[in-house]
Amino acid sequence: MIRHKSKRKRRNIGKPQKLRITSMMDILTVLLLFLLKSFVAEGEVVTPVPGVELPVSASKDQPVATLVVAVSETDILLGSELISTVREVIEGTGMKIEPLAARLAEAKEKQDEIAALRGTPNDDSEGQITIQGDREIPFQVLQKVMYTCQQSGFASISLAVIKI
Amino acid sequence: MLNRRKQTAVGELVRDDLEVLPLMNLFVVLIPMLLLSAVFVEMSVIRMNLPFEVATEEQNEIDGIEENLLLAVTIREEQFVIEGKMIPTTAVPRGGENERRELQAALESVAGAHPENEEIMIIAEAETKYDTIIGVMDVVRAAGLPQISLLGANHR
Repeated sequence: MIRHKSKRKRRNIGKPQKLRITSMMDILTVLLLFLLKSFVAEGEVVTPVPGVELPVSASKDQPVATLVVAVSETDILLGSELISTVREVIEGTGMKIEPLAARLAEAKEKQDEIAALRGTPNDDSEGQITIQGDREIPFQVLQKVMYTCQQSGFASISLAVIKI
Repeated sequence: MLNRRKQTAVGELVRDDLEVLPLMNLFVVLIPMLLLSAVFVEMSVIRMNLPFEVATEEQNEIDGIEENLLLAVTIREEQFVIEGKMIPTTAVPRGGENERRELQAALESVAGAHPENEEIMIIAEAETKYDTIIGVMDVVRAAGLPQISLLGANHR
């Protein structure tokens, strides 16, 4: 009997052993569930606009899905559409940024139309706007952008930041 | 002897590992995909409400703050200046590593002396960087003054 067992062992030495991956599977399963959860929970409410380096803040307010005005070091965008350049804004006289105001007015009209069709005029996202400003932009640009937003009917402004 | 051998062979077949390789293949594809799409920088927002009718800074300044402390912190290039009615004007030099901590300490002493006041104005110059303003807003909130107004210094 003993001889028989040892014989069998010896026979197994030559055979290719199976890789034991059960423990790795455990890790991967946990990782997969974790990633799936964060993927669902986050939802892409606000995506950072490329080329804009947001400032860091301790604010804990959750971002909401709204219209986004992005102010990079050189350009001003509404959604993904180029509206104006920062230099034009700095050089321009007056507080209002005309091209931005025009586009915002259109967007506002569209929002109002949708709200009217829905029959819910007091929609949460109405009149809300998110400003994603680069950390290097001067205050005068931000001031003009905020003023323009307010004048176009978007008085509830959220400044996007990166959470510490 | 032969019989026994057969039995062990059957036993081995039952004890064999699960066939997890296809699942592995799936994971190998899914995990990089999810890792790529995962958001590691969490974003948040600072909410601001602007008055609807008139949004000029002058109006903000007048709005119902007569009996108030009129507390204001001005961001200048080389210093933060804390001003207000009934409090001594304090200047906190900028540029040091502890500028934010010093500003917070100064603001906390003011807020401690006037606990009923929750309002503060942040006055920024035209060239003040957005990052600095957000930083000061954080400091001000941490110092216990959550009602922030943002104004522009007269630069015209």
